[in-house]
Amino acid sequence: MKTAFDLNDDSLVVIVGSGAGGGTLSHELAKKGIRCVVLEAGKRFERKDIENDEWKMFSKITWLDKRITAGPTALTQTSPNLPTWLVKGVGGATIHWAGVALRFQEHEFKMRSLNGEIAGANVLDWPISYADLAPYYEKAEAKLGVTGTKASGQPYHEPSSHFKVIAEGSRRVGAHCRPAPLAINTTPRDGRPACQVTGFCMQGCRFGAKWSTMESSIPKAEATGNIEVRPDSMVLRIEHDDSGKVTGVLYVDKDGNQHFQKARLVAVAANSIESPRLLLNSASSLFPQGLANSSGQVGKNYMTHTGTGIYGEMPDTVSMYKSPVVPGLVSTWADNDPSRGHVGGYELEILHIGLPFMSAFLKPGGWGRELANSLANYDNMAGFWICGEDMAVESNSVTLHPTEKDQYGLPIPVVYKGNHANDTAMIKHSNEQATAILEAAGATKVNVMDRYPASHNMGTNRMSARPQDGVVNKWGQTHDINNLFISDGSQFTSSAAENPTLTIVALAIRQAEYIADQMQQQMI
Amino acid sequence: MNKNKATDTNLSRRRFLARSTVAAVGAGALGSALLSPAAWAAKAIGDQASATLLRMARDIYPHDTLEDKYYAQVMTPLAEQAEKDDDLKALLKDGVAALDAQANRLFGKAYLEVTAEADRVTVLKALEDTPFFQKIRGDLMMGIYNNEELWPRFGYGGSSWEKGGYRYRGYEKNDWIKGA
Repeated sequence: MKTAFDLNDDSLVVIVGSGAGGGTLSHELAKKGIRCVVLEAGKRFERKDIENDEWKMFSKITWLDKRITAGPTALTQTSPNLPTWLVKGVGGATIHWAGVALRFQEHEFKMRSLNGEIAGANVLDWPISYADLAPYYEKAEAKLGVTGTKASGQPYHEPSSHFKVIAEGSRRVGAHCRPAPLAINTTPRDGRPACQVTGFCMQGCRFGAKWSTMESSIPKAEATGNIEVRPDSMVLRIEHDDSGKVTGVLYVDKDGNQHFQKARLVAVAANSIESPRLLLNSASSLFPQGLANSSGQVGKNYMTHTGTGIYGEMPDTVSMYKSPVVPGLVSTWADNDPSRGHVGGYELEILHIGLPFMSAFLKPGGWGRELANSLANYDNMAGFWICGEDMAVESNSVTLHPTEKDQYGLPIPVVYKGNHANDTAMIKHSNEQATAILEAAGATKVNVMDRYPASHNMGTNRMSARPQDGVVNKWGQTHDINNLFISDGSQFTSSAAENPTLTIVALAIRQAEYIADQMQQQMI
Repeated sequence: MNKNKATDTNLSRRRFLARSTVAAVGAGALGSALLSPAAWAAKAIGDQASATLLRMARDIYPHDTLEDKYYAQVMTPLAEQAEKDDDLKALLKDGVAALDAQANRLFGKAYLEVTAEADRVTVLKALEDTPFFQKIRGDLMMGIYNNEELWPRFGYGGSSWEKGGYRYRGYEKNDWIKGA
């Protein structure tokens, strides 16, 4: 039985996007008997579409619609039209994520009061605390089956060769490497099998051992009969009535036909580029700066993570690809210790990529004997991707291109990102620590890779206590329009040193309770 | 590649020959050129130019233990396309001419005659921002490092799910790091 709702049904919740935010929200609302239509711009993939091949999956699932990479960084040269590395498909970036499921730390909700004003940055405290979110982190860990947590009861993955090399290097410099909490089963659980260690977490899990909304939340939500997912449905704009309440969304299907879906409320969860873009594209005479943008903060404060990669060439075989992609973390510098020369912290995340991606990212555009020699050493490589807190800076932003349009006739997004001095200092510090660990493990050469297209995108519709400082309140409800919500990582007030997905899921679970309550009280 | 992988290499070579036979039927005149790597692009752009491009390819991603045929394999589709695509043909011919001109300017001889790798790299450096160089480099990156046939030579496993992943195939194996 496939649920189908009427376009004129104005009692529905319309959710734009089906990833960690939208997919989770749809599942949580469905469980409460609330009916939703999920509009997903991408197509629906099946398990059999998942291949262990980096470039094939890259072309198959990546969001490749044209964007402009702007800013003072090398990424504008090496990746001029692909500032991000996200997914277009039912499941969104949860198809692609490596499964690292970390809670934010207590202090990361209070970066402004902890560190005071930081020149050139637009740092703000979250309107919620760690304590507010803790019960929802617990629910999220249970939902995703995060290893090493009480909530899931699942053990961590056993150490891979890659983990062992980094753990020993860390020990030798007095740092500590721990198994990563992963939303990848180590035991059969919740209808999904245990990890078979294909080494291709980021190409989609062929076995379904990794939690994704594609594998888990979306099918479960559909099974309730309360959810209809419409793939290949790109939302063009959100409409509102004279009072400013949103009334529904205009979208285009795969045949190019436009439809207007009425809604009781709209939740936008299209990731940190598309979500602000949709609000900006929905500008009207009542809201000339775009929906929910009385603060002027829509599209501002765009954060990624510091995001360098660093690979050491070891004296012997590591075969890092024979491992969960992120088997472990060095969290030694994840705290806020300004004596290091920067505020905020970073996680050194052990992470492998395959030879095809290594050849593209080790030295983008590079060639010659030195690079070839390093690639010939691929089987001996071990290394990290660094997840460091990125400061909110107002000029880092998503804006609409003045003239150029995409295949839907919408202005393409211009994604501007520069490094704040704090980011630069943190990158330097983290690269030095990572290098020391790799050298302690025996590396004869260490290669530092510049930031590549960002998979962690945050902050462009941020939460704030005061309406003038941000776009949404502590429930992800826009300050300006009470039946318009943001349900993805664009809500984040700070980027923290952790991967965003678990926090997106926790916020979505919490938001679903609030939405259900507000609907029951007829407040929405 | 820094290890003895003779078995894999032999296997790869047999696979290559099998594939070449199939290619020869499909590619007509160019097919036979496949077995003579230096002349892979002869029909489209001439012997000298094709030999120059092969040298250039080896200089861009130099792996001394990889046979010419792997570099030639990357160039063959380019040459085939150039026979039908005048823009591409011009890009290749003009690119080689520019390479030789630069080599002449710096060393008084054609690129192919410049014997020291470091000198040829100097020539290439001057051209690395050109569409010609970028085209060759991009195709080579994919053709060498995204070549399934070569993955065993680099110690990369490729697709593993059909073999059950590495859960029971040594993901934990490490006999050299202390404590492993």
